[in-house]
Amino acid sequence: MSELLVKNACVIDPIRGINGEIMDIAIRDGRIVESVSDRSETIDAQRCLTLPGGIDSHTHVCGTKVNFGRYMSPEDMRAGRTQRRGKMHVTSGYYVPTTFGNSYRYSAMGYTTLLEGAMAPLEARHTHEEFTATPHQDMMANTLFDGNWAVMDAVREKNIKKAAAIVAWTLNAVKGYGIKLTNPGGTEAWGWGEDLTSIHESVPHFAVTPAEIITTMIKANELLKLPHSVHLHCNNLGKPGNYQTTLDTFELVPDLNPNRQTLYATHVQFHAYGGGTWRNICSKAEEITRSINSKPQIVMDMGQIMFCRTMTMTADGPMEFNLHCLHHNKWSNHDVELETGSGIIPVTYSKKSAVNCIMWAIGLELALLTKSPWQCLLETDNPNGAPFVKYPEVIGLLMSKKYRDEECATLHPDTEGRTSLCALEREMDWHDIAVMTRAGQAKALGIINQGKGHMGIGAEADIAIYPIRTDSVDPAREYRKVVEGFQKTRYTIKRGRVVSRDGEIIVDGANATFWVNAKVPVDLKMENDPEFIRRFEQFYTVRMSNYPVQDVYLPRGRCIETEAFT
Amino acid sequence: MRVILECKVRKKPTLPIEAEAIIPRNFLKGTDLVVFEGNKERKLSELFWIFVEGTAVSPENIEIVLNGDTSRIKRVGEYMDTGSILITGNIGMHCGNFMSGGTIEIIGNADSWLGREMRGGTILCRGNAGHYCATGYRGEKKGMQGGSVEVFGNAGDFCAEYLAGGTVHIHGSTGDFPGIEMRGGQLIIDGDATRPCANMKDGTCVILGQVHEMIPTFEKIDRRVLADWKITADVYKGDIANRGKGTLMVKTPGSVYYKK
Repeated sequence: MSELLVKNACVIDPIRGINGEIMDIAIRDGRIVESVSDRSETIDAQRCLTLPGGIDSHTHVCGTKVNFGRYMSPEDMRAGRTQRRGKMHVTSGYYVPTTFGNSYRYSAMGYTTLLEGAMAPLEARHTHEEFTATPHQDMMANTLFDGNWAVMDAVREKNIKKAAAIVAWTLNAVKGYGIKLTNPGGTEAWGWGEDLTSIHESVPHFAVTPAEIITTMIKANELLKLPHSVHLHCNNLGKPGNYQTTLDTFELVPDLNPNRQTLYATHVQFHAYGGGTWRNICSKAEEITRSINSKPQIVMDMGQIMFCRTMTMTADGPMEFNLHCLHHNKWSNHDVELETGSGIIPVTYSKKSAVNCIMWAIGLELALLTKSPWQCLLETDNPNGAPFVKYPEVIGLLMSKKYRDEECATLHPDTEGRTSLCALEREMDWHDIAVMTRAGQAKALGIINQGKGHMGIGAEADIAIYPIRTDSVDPAREYRKVVEGFQKTRYTIKRGRVVSRDGEIIVDGANATFWVNAKVPVDLKMENDPEFIRRFEQFYTVRMSNYPVQDVYLPRGRCIETEAFT
Repeated sequence: MRVILECKVRKKPTLPIEAEAIIPRNFLKGTDLVVFEGNKERKLSELFWIFVEGTAVSPENIEIVLNGDTSRIKRVGEYMDTGSILITGNIGMHCGNFMSGGTIEIIGNADSWLGREMRGGTILCRGNAGHYCATGYRGEKKGMQGGSVEVFGNAGDFCAEYLAGGTVHIHGSTGDFPGIEMRGGQLIIDGDATRPCANMKDGTCVILGQVHEMIPTFEKIDRRVLADWKITADVYKGDIANRGKGTLMVKTPGSVYYKK
C-alpha cells in the first residue's frame, strides 16, 4: 500500500466545480481517497496551482506515420538530444522526437493522458508497440474509418447497424478507442488519384458522399454507446474558402448524447479559411464560432499553429500532396489497403508569410470567440501546427491581450486587415485554461468515469502541480511567468507516484492503454458474416485470422466495455 | 605536431567505438578526450597508446595518425575543419561526417558513409569505400556540398547520393545507383556503374567504364570528345522524368580509355 498526501494545493478542478480552493489531496494506491494515515509521504504544494493531469485529445505521437516523420528528418533527430540520465533514456528530436522524448516532455508539462489522433487499423501493432514505449502517459488510439471499404458499403446500403457492427469488430480487433474520420471519402478518392471538394460529392467507385459517411458514422457511434464521439477531420483541410464545407458539416450533426458532444471537430483552425486563393485568404473564425456557439453538440479543438519548423503528418493524403506542390520539399505518401492513406511533409511557419500569420491568428480567434471553453480545446494538432512543447505559449497568448498585441506587432502587415484578432479583448482565466487542457478533454473523450480529468474521490491520482501562485501572478501582465510555469511542473503525479519533478523524470513509467469493446448481438457479429469474411479474404493482403492485435501488444490494456444496441 | 594513436588490444574487438572527438582541433589542448565504446564512456588513453611528437600553436599544424585495428572506429573526423588525419588501416563508418576542411587519408578500406554531408576538405581513400560514400543521410535533401572525395578502389551502392557540390572521384567501379538524386557537383567513375544518376536534377557525372541497366529517362543529346581522358562519350540530359537538367556522360562503347 502506498500513500501520498499533497498539502496546501491551490486546486482548480472544473469537473467538480472547484475554482482555486486551498486543500489537501490524499492518495492511496494510485487513487484519490478521503484521507490517509499519518505515515504517508507528504508533498507541500506551497499554494501552487494544482490541476488534474493534462489530457491531450488530439496528438500524433505514435504509429507508422509518426515514425516515418522521424525517418524523413535526420536534421530533427540531431536536435534536442539528451543523454541517458538516471531513469531517463536517451532522447532526440524536436518536432518528431523519439517516443521517450515525447513522454518525458509531456510529463514535464503535466500531461498524463494522450489520445493518438489517427491509427490506421492495419498498422495498429506498431502503434501499440510505441504506446508501451511512451511510459508516462495513458494512451488511446483513434481508429481511422474514413475510407474503410466495408463501412462505405454499409453506408451505401443505409445500414447503420451493419456499419456499427463493422466498427465494433474493428475496434475490438485493433484495440482502438474511437472513430476517426479524416477527410471522409477524400482519402479513398485519393487512392484513385482524385480528391473531393465538397461533402456532397460522390466517392469514385463507392457511390457514397462524405456527408453520408459522417451522418451514418455518428449514428453508428451512438448505437455502440462508445465513450467518445465521432472524431472528425473535415474535408477540404487547408484550402482557402473551406469554411463553407466546415459549416455545412456542422449542420449535419444532430444532438444525440446528453453526456457529451455528438461530434468532435478537430484542428478547426485549418478549416476556417475564407477567400478563394492563397492571395486573398482571410479568417472566417467568426462564422465558425457563431455556429459552434449555437450547437452544444459539437466540440472542437484549436489546431493552433506557432511559428517554427515542424512536420505535418495526416491520413489526409491529397492535402499533403497539394502542400507538397507548394513547397517542393520532402514528401511521403502512403496507402493503407482498404482503409485509409497518409501523407507527410515538413513545413516552416514563418512570420514573413501572410498566410501563416493569418493561420496563427485564426487559431486564437476560434478559442477567444467560442463562449464556452468546454467547446474549444487547446491543442496544436502536434506536430502539425507546432510541437506540443509550444502549449505554454498558446496558454500565455490566450491569457494575455498584451502578449497578443506584442506578437501581432511583429507579424506580416496584412494580418490585421484579414483577421479580427487585434480587436478581441477577451483574456482567459485559470479556470478556462484548466477546462481547455484537461477537464474539457476528459468530458469530450468520455473518460470522466475512468477517473480522468478530475480529482474527486476514487479518481485516478493524475495530478500536475505548477510553480505558479495564482494569487500573486497577473497573467495579463506577467505572461512570461505563466509560460514558464506551464513549461515545467514542480511535480507531475501519475497514478499516485511522482513521475516528474522540476522537469526531471524520476521513475520508470507504467502506462495503460484504453480500448473499447462494444458488444453487439451475435447475429450482427462481423466474424459470423460470410460476405464480410469473403471480401476481407479477397481484398486484404493479410488473413482475417492474422488481423487482430494480440493481447501481448497491450501489456497494460484497459478495456472499456459497452452494451451496444440496447 | 603529430599525434599517434595506436589501438590497444581490446577484449571485445567488435564493439564499435564512437570517436567523434578525434579531430585535430581537439588535440590542441591535450589528449584528455572521451569516446564511447559501446554504451560506455572511455578516456582516449584507455583505448589507445598515445604518442605526441612536437608541439603546435594552431590546429592546422596537427596531424593525427591512427594505427592498428581501426575498422570499428566510427565518426573519426566528424565536423573536422582543419589539420590532417592519416589512417594506416581500415576505418569504420561515418568517417569525415560534416567535414569542412583539412585532409583525411585512409590507406586501407573505408566503411559506409565516408564523407557524409561533407562541406569541404579532402578525403583520400586508397582502398575500397562502402555504401553511401559522399552522400546525405537517409531522409536528408542535401548530401555532400563541397570538398573532394577520392576513392582508389571500388565504392558500394548509392555512391554520391544527393551530391550537391564538390567532386567525387571513384577510380574503381560502383554498385547500384551512383549519383542518384544529384543536385550539383561532379561525380567521376573510372570503372563500371549500375543504374547511374536516377532522378538527377543537376550536376555532372562522367562514367568511363561500362554502364549496366541505363535508366531509360535520360535523353541522348550529343557525342563529344573528352580531352581529359582521350575518349569519346555519349552525353545524356536528365533525369527527364523529373525535369532534371543534369549531364551524364558515358564512354561510347568501343572508345578505348587508357588510365593515366
